[in-house]
Amino acid sequence: MKDFAVFWGCTIQARFPFLEKSSRIVFEDFELPYKEIDGFTCCPEKSLIDNVDHEMFVVTAARNVALADEKGIDIVSPCTGCVSNLATVKGELESNPKEKETVNNLLKEIGREFDGSAKLSHLVPFFHDSVGVHKIKQTIKKNFEGMKISAHYGCHMIRPSHALRNDDPIDPVKYDNLIRALGAEAVETDTKLMCCGQGLDRVDQHDNALHMARMKLKELIAAGADALTVCCPSCFLQFDNNQFLMMREGEKLGLPVIYFTELLGLALGHTAEELGLTAHRVSAEPFLKKWAALTGDNQTEINDGLNAVGEL
Amino acid sequence: MIKSNLDLKLLEKCAGCGACYSICPSCVIIPGYDPREVIKDILAGEFDKWLDSKHIWQCLECHYCLEMCYQHYGFENAMTALRTIATKRGKYPPQVKRGWDMFAKSSRLGEPAMPARKKFGLPEPKASGKDEFLKLHELVLKAREAEAKKTGTDRG
Repeated sequence: MKDFAVFWGCTIQARFPFLEKSSRIVFEDFELPYKEIDGFTCCPEKSLIDNVDHEMFVVTAARNVALADEKGIDIVSPCTGCVSNLATVKGELESNPKEKETVNNLLKEIGREFDGSAKLSHLVPFFHDSVGVHKIKQTIKKNFEGMKISAHYGCHMIRPSHALRNDDPIDPVKYDNLIRALGAEAVETDTKLMCCGQGLDRVDQHDNALHMARMKLKELIAAGADALTVCCPSCFLQFDNNQFLMMREGEKLGLPVIYFTELLGLALGHTAEELGLTAHRVSAEPFLKKWAALTGDNQTEINDGLNAVGEL
Repeated sequence: MIKSNLDLKLLEKCAGCGACYSICPSCVIIPGYDPREVIKDILAGEFDKWLDSKHIWQCLECHYCLEMCYQHYGFENAMTALRTIATKRGKYPPQVKRGWDMFAKSSRLGEPAMPARKKFGLPEPKASGKDEFLKLHELVLKAREAEAKKTGTDRG
């Protein structure tokens, strides 16, 4: 396997460092050749940056890709937004040689060159395709048999498909395959591909954002799901933090939201504390308790979440 | 102004099949949100009336319309163009301005949370490319200025 740089992105490092923790744990357990390199900036985020200045959106992303290009390594990210934005720009420059030349003329002045040789992958399709379902099944120590887990792919894991080309953009299967590889039932829902709605919070439309979170959570609770799994910090913010805010206002929700790396980490035998699940705002305890009961394991009890780390 | 942000010829080819509308999450949940109305006005040369509307910020940029469009266009492009123009005229949600300002100043949308990193035993984060980024931003602005002088137009 080719070496890859981890592109953590702003949100994970600024708000959810425990997601970095669980990612590192699974990288280590699978002995993946991950590197960390100096110099990455914001990917940049589309809604805040591209809307304001497309040129800055393009050159910033091109510079980030160039850092991996020049080291001859790939990029893997646990953030869907980062991969989608970097890939969108990479695709734009590869299909527009004139624009690529303009960008490279600018990059040259800071000693960089974009050639696009670095492959960009999101962690979920990366685990599916490069690590492989078979290897995952062989490596895990415990499985989730008897648990019902629903995958929220997150728009930018698979779209825009012309830039990402990693799964079917309107009928994706890889995240579900991974859930099944971990032994759980992959719960299908009508809102499977619906945007989480967190983008509405970024443009000061909080009530609409809550409304979208509610739609999905209610459908999943009605379907008897034990957890929702996501692999995007923005979706995590939406379903964990915004769900917590709705519960504080008296709504009966309480669906645990488990990051893909946390799910994998639990199956690899790590404890919830070690993986940082204690920092979630919506407690993961109902999920862990049911799982412990099924596996006859009393080791997975955790203190209730809402620790200071998860504070915003 | 709209022409430098949007391919109107392509937009004119919209067959009105409605696939985008049927799949758009904001169209499902937000009363009155219908980008097809926006597109009609853009083609009639009346895009200005949408610049103050909160609707142009309700597109989630989920790219679903793009995938469903048999021309692979999607109304997201029209909404992005209007947001860009609105922004240039100083009309944007406060959070967008805060986000941009932080990005332009620091190259990121947030700095690593050091106390929490320590708690989880995470290593020192790698250095950001802030200095290079600031230089790059300056170069972009300079090139833009030179181009505007050359052509005598505001490319905005």
